[in-house]
Amino acid sequence: MKKALQLLFASLFTFHVALAQEVTVKGRVSSAEDGSSIAGASIRIEGTGAGTSSGANGQYEIRASKGQVLVFSFVGMVSTTRTVGDESVINVVLESDGQSLDEVVVTALGIERNRKNLTYSVQTVSGDDLRAANQGNIINALQGQVAGAQISSAGGSPGLPTEIILRGSTTLSGDNQPLMIVDGIRVNNSSSNFTVNRVADINPEDIEDISILKGAAAAALYGIDAASGAIIITTKKGKQGVIQVNGSYKSFMETMGRLPRQQAIYTTGTGGTYDESSGSSWGRKFRYDETIYNNVERFFQTALTHDVNLNINGGSENLQYYMSGGYRNAGSMVPNTFQDKLSFMMKGTAKLSSKLSMTASANYVQNNIQEGLGGASAGGWINNILRFPLKYDILRYEYPNGEPWYAYLEPEDDGRNARISPMWGVMRNPRNNNVDRFTVNGFLEYNPLEWLRLSYRLGQDFTASKYRTIITPRTPGDFFDGRVAEVNSNSKYITSTFNATINKKLHEDLGFTLLLGANSDYFEARGINYTGEGLLIPDIFSPNVVDRTGLTFGESLSRRQRYAVYGDLSVSYKDIVTLAMTGRNDWTSTLSPQHRKYFSPSYSGSLAFSELFEDNDLWYGKLRVSYAKVGKDAPIYKTNTNLRQVATVGAGFVVDPTTGGNQDLRPERTSEFEVGTELSFFKRRLNIDLTYYNRESIDMILTTRVPPPAGYIFKTFNSGSLRNKGVEASVNVIPFRNEKFLWSTTLNAWKNTSKMLQFVGDIEVFPYTNVQLNAGKAGTRLHEHVLGIIGTDYKRTEEGYVIVGTDGYPIVDDTEKTIGNREPEFNLGWLNRFNYKAFSLSFMWDFRFGGDILNASRQGMMSTGIAYDIGEWRDKEFVFNGVVAQEDGSYVKNEKQVVLDYSYFANNYYQVGTNFVEKVNWARIRYITLGYSLPDFIAQKVRVKRLGLELSAQNPLIFTNYSGGDPEVNSAGPNAGGTGASSMGVDNGAIPLPRAFSLGLNISL
Amino acid sequence: MKRLVKIICTLLGIIAITSCNDLDLNYNPVQPVTAPSPLRLPAIQANLAYSLYSQARFASFHSYYLTTRTGNSNAQTDTWNYNNITRMGAWRWHYFDVSANIASKDGILIRAEQDGDNNYTGVGKILLAFSFLTATDVFGDMPFSEAFTDIMNPVYDSQETVYQGVERLLDEGINELRNVNPTARSMNASSDLIYAGDYNKWISFAEAVRARLKLHTASFTANGYTDLLASVNTALAGFEDAMFRYPEESSSLWEKNLWGETRPNPEWQFADIRNDLANTLPTDVLMNALTVDEATNTFDPRLYKLTTPGANNKYLGAQMSVGLHSSNTNLPSGTTYQDFANLYNGYWTADNSPYPYMIKEELYFMKAEALFYLERYGEALIAYQQGIEHNCQRLGVEPGLITNFMGSAKVVQSAENLKISDIMMQKWLALYLQAETWVDMRRYGYGTHAYPDLYYPRFALAEWGGRYIQRFIYDPQTEYVYNPKEIARLGAGARDWAFKEVWWAEKSTLKNP
Repeated sequence: MKKALQLLFASLFTFHVALAQEVTVKGRVSSAEDGSSIAGASIRIEGTGAGTSSGANGQYEIRASKGQVLVFSFVGMVSTTRTVGDESVINVVLESDGQSLDEVVVTALGIERNRKNLTYSVQTVSGDDLRAANQGNIINALQGQVAGAQISSAGGSPGLPTEIILRGSTTLSGDNQPLMIVDGIRVNNSSSNFTVNRVADINPEDIEDISILKGAAAAALYGIDAASGAIIITTKKGKQGVIQVNGSYKSFMETMGRLPRQQAIYTTGTGGTYDESSGSSWGRKFRYDETIYNNVERFFQTALTHDVNLNINGGSENLQYYMSGGYRNAGSMVPNTFQDKLSFMMKGTAKLSSKLSMTASANYVQNNIQEGLGGASAGGWINNILRFPLKYDILRYEYPNGEPWYAYLEPEDDGRNARISPMWGVMRNPRNNNVDRFTVNGFLEYNPLEWLRLSYRLGQDFTASKYRTIITPRTPGDFFDGRVAEVNSNSKYITSTFNATINKKLHEDLGFTLLLGANSDYFEARGINYTGEGLLIPDIFSPNVVDRTGLTFGESLSRRQRYAVYGDLSVSYKDIVTLAMTGRNDWTSTLSPQHRKYFSPSYSGSLAFSELFEDNDLWYGKLRVSYAKVGKDAPIYKTNTNLRQVATVGAGFVVDPTTGGNQDLRPERTSEFEVGTELSFFKRRLNIDLTYYNRESIDMILTTRVPPPAGYIFKTFNSGSLRNKGVEASVNVIPFRNEKFLWSTTLNAWKNTSKMLQFVGDIEVFPYTNVQLNAGKAGTRLHEHVLGIIGTDYKRTEEGYVIVGTDGYPIVDDTEKTIGNREPEFNLGWLNRFNYKAFSLSFMWDFRFGGDILNASRQGMMSTGIAYDIGEWRDKEFVFNGVVAQEDGSYVKNEKQVVLDYSYFANNYYQVGTNFVEKVNWARIRYITLGYSLPDFIAQKVRVKRLGLELSAQNPLIFTNYSGGDPEVNSAGPNAGGTGASSMGVDNGAIPLPRAFSLGLNISL
Repeated sequence: MKRLVKIICTLLGIIAITSCNDLDLNYNPVQPVTAPSPLRLPAIQANLAYSLYSQARFASFHSYYLTTRTGNSNAQTDTWNYNNITRMGAWRWHYFDVSANIASKDGILIRAEQDGDNNYTGVGKILLAFSFLTATDVFGDMPFSEAFTDIMNPVYDSQETVYQGVERLLDEGINELRNVNPTARSMNASSDLIYAGDYNKWISFAEAVRARLKLHTASFTANGYTDLLASVNTALAGFEDAMFRYPEESSSLWEKNLWGETRPNPEWQFADIRNDLANTLPTDVLMNALTVDEATNTFDPRLYKLTTPGANNKYLGAQMSVGLHSSNTNLPSGTTYQDFANLYNGYWTADNSPYPYMIKEELYFMKAEALFYLERYGEALIAYQQGIEHNCQRLGVEPGLITNFMGSAKVVQSAENLKISDIMMQKWLALYLQAETWVDMRRYGYGTHAYPDLYYPRFALAEWGGRYIQRFIYDPQTEYVYNPKEIARLGAGARDWAFKEVWWAEKSTLKNP
């Protein structure tokens, strides 16, 4: 294997240009739809600068060498290639760019299927659409492009993770995210230590396309790993032809987006009186001579990002290569925050004989991110900025000599308990995550017989990660003498897959495909960590200068092995009826021997009913039905309880609170029924894909806090079952198209509703421990929405009127109930693409209807008296809209005027969860990208083949009723601390998404 | 076709063989699952000190030693409202950090039994009994019989049942220590941080725990005080202070008393119960108790040992729950926190202070209380004076000052003048910041017959209807989630659950003079 790789890469540097005689090729370019001629279609010789375009009646003429490849393209049409041979006339029919029926779709295990024969829903996103979003993190770039994918980022900073959930959440703790597969191997998408989700390491420029396997049937071949769906990423590969070089440079300017508001009326104090020592803003009014700093705006900055990419591809008939390099230096609107990412990829495909071919690739990524904002496992990134009193200048945090400038210091205090601008922490105590990642992937394919293909793939995704947090000495708080903590870990996923595919026509009309395979999937993470408290030399952050007694070291090692064998049988008749059945048996190491075997079957079928009609060249219709049962195994090491060493006097060992062992853990089971239809009208200018699904997750595995009387703090157990059901629609329309102008538009709409069906034991409501805020908690109640919000409300009459006490204040009802559903009621992504001559314009509207946000940022600002509403309402007289109970049981309208004083806000308003739950709608533009290809004569002047310009904006515009910052919130990210559930819809000091504008330049040589 | 299947199967077989990892790798190779008992006991003892602190952190406010500086600011201590807390740390520290390490299937008892180390079994059971006693005294009914059985919704046993269980554990523990297996692993100063492996001291400690238990129920139990007296005397015979000691100097947050000025929070779960003495003031109740003569500014000499001087060298006392709040009427205007004693670096509140499990004074005062109710006032007076004197000595008051103080008006000199309040107030001072005094206060229904200076806190919420706080709520994050039926049966979901008396408080006959 290694030798073959060496050979391959050595040969990449040898150019394979065939010297052949030149011929003149002529022909006509026409549309598949109606046979009409296409004028202005581009005809290029692949790998060279040469090219022409078709004339008025689609005619063209070009000189090319035999063996060269002609690329025919036209806006709104699928490009096609032809190799120049002996014939002098090449007529080409171009398919429209709608969902082409002959499109090949990559499905589970990298199996390519013709869309016609698909029996379940698979949505694909092309690399170009992904890149148009101009997002560094490819998961962010998928926003709005996939019906049924709920994507929310943990905040607008480059090092924060983004969560993607397909068809609703399937578990109340841990990872709800789909399996991530790149070119057939499983890759790391963890976001340990609250760093970016690791799929963000992948350079978007390298991506050919992404298939999203949303349902259980689509992902069934991943068996015990398929419960949350799968995302199948295919990278670009070399194409036969002369060397092509493409380069791009993009520059982004990032500014702050939508910010939460504060009051600028009252200064520091408690209970209404001025108190310099207080960090709350419950004091008197600011005097006219006092400066009020708009700290939140002052804090954020405008930053620049540079992104450079270069890729080379080409090859001969037997050897193709693709190489790319990318460098991104990203600034952030958060001060002292940046990303430095370098990626390099090589991929080669060699045809070793007529029956044997090999593909090998290697991808290296270095991704170094520095974050100024510390946060915590439950988010809270900018809480300390939002709450910092406005009488202090947030930008004043140090003396010119670098010593801390304390905003408030008590007389005897050395600074330990002082107040300091949060800017000190941002500038002096950043956290760094440095990742070196190396992915190798080898693929061997052998076709001994025409109908038999054997393939073997071996790949490893290796990540070396260093995560460091520092606290500079003299920082107020627990670590006044300084601290440095570092986690170094190496993790690897090794995937080894063997497949045998038999593809036979049993009869002229009867196709038969059988796949048999086996798979091994190994994961290992090994880490060394240390924490050093008390830095003897204040400006070196290393254990070398830490007081020896303040040093602790630790080692971690986790491993998982899975084996599987599987089969996939599909039979199709005339591309009209397809029946398919898959089965996979998994063995996993994370469960006890008696529970480690798991079988996942799927049954599916499709019927292209339009084929039964005579006019089927005008329309197309297909019905799909599937049922599948897949699973999820337990997290690693949850069957044993461990001891851990302690640092208490006398040392020794205690039960590790995080490892409540459970030998009885069973795999989680997810079964899903899916029915869908694909419809095309107007000669494929209108394509509709509708899907309904009903998914039940049984024996859901939960790792969470359990009652200490059971002897554990955290334990993993099978906790209950839940259901998600929903509809997904994807509509693709080409409303307008002529020779020069094309408008193509895609609507992705979806709705998911979830319900908690059953809890183990007596549990009735389950609050998530990682997102608990005072008045409201993210949580799930039996028989209600899974992504709920639990909290208190006011006492109400049966008709819903708020009951006001005789003192004139509304009465708080302390019974906790469900007060919100964080899942949006309806989502809509609307992608538009326009092409006019050399211009292209695309933009994505993203609409969200409903879905509640728990606005804990505001709650926090409320408690410190700095919230905007406090400024509006504090000390005002007010009559609450409600009713007062009378002795006879009747109610009369409240008319008592009361004062909204500190005590009201602290003891009444603040205690009521519903005051911090907002039903949010939004309409936003995710991106607008305008491209322009400069005319050839200009390109030729600078001696390039193509020169393109791009202007783009990300998140430029948002309309929303949300009172806080950006309503896309997910405070704790995908998987806080490994034990948290989705915190989608919880705004706990979330960093609002930035607004960015970019200018790009593309060059093809 | 057949041949093909054969080929494929062979290939599959080869892959299966070459992929050599065993599936039995779901154990962490770099962490143990068990450890010999000498490696377990020190951490249990350290955690017990934390656990007792976690109770005292709030109990010391509820028993009127301390109040917050700003007043009306801390929901639990100023308004007695526990309804909005996220976690109840004391629950976890008892059940998990102490008891799970003893009695769960990963605890010391199982390993000690396997290894024949029944000395560790004995000490383990005594510590478990003590931890359960202190926990039930702040929580009331709680899981005992079904604790550590993997059941996540265990039955909450009545406090009476828990008390029986505690006594049984004490008996079993004492029995093991009286019959230590000759082959048992040794217990010495490095494995037993309390008594360095002196089994007799452990037995006396167990008797002292039994005496404490009996005191709580004495008023409503037949022969309660006689039994109590017998227990106290048994314990006193060989008792030595049970103290968890911290090193004189350490930079580790794990090696500091949790009342210390460093405000250690060695575990993040601990954050919500971290001490806040910098923002805390001594109450007027405490200052009254420590004032010998207000006119001459003569104080109990222990004042200077329990606290350190404030910046202005003044010793004011703040009203419970009011502190320096603008509505405080009995402090001179312009008073700042610097006019109060500094609560840090007193005998019990320095980073290196020992943390008391039980101290000898408690036995003297228990004895005094028993004798008082047995109407043996003369002996009661002696025990009372022994308690005070012992406390002065412990705190390091100079002998001359002790003699002076023992003769002062603050100390009752004759048996006929001895009131129950004298005993209880002196016990209260001797057990400064210990949660046990909250038990006493609740036994006496916060009555002024026992605690003459008590008053109802101004900022206790009106909805409590003038009732005094009686207990902690169960851990909201776990108990109310997993065990709603038991919570409902007990009525623990009510907003005023913390105001329902625990069993021995309800039964106590001492609440009225």
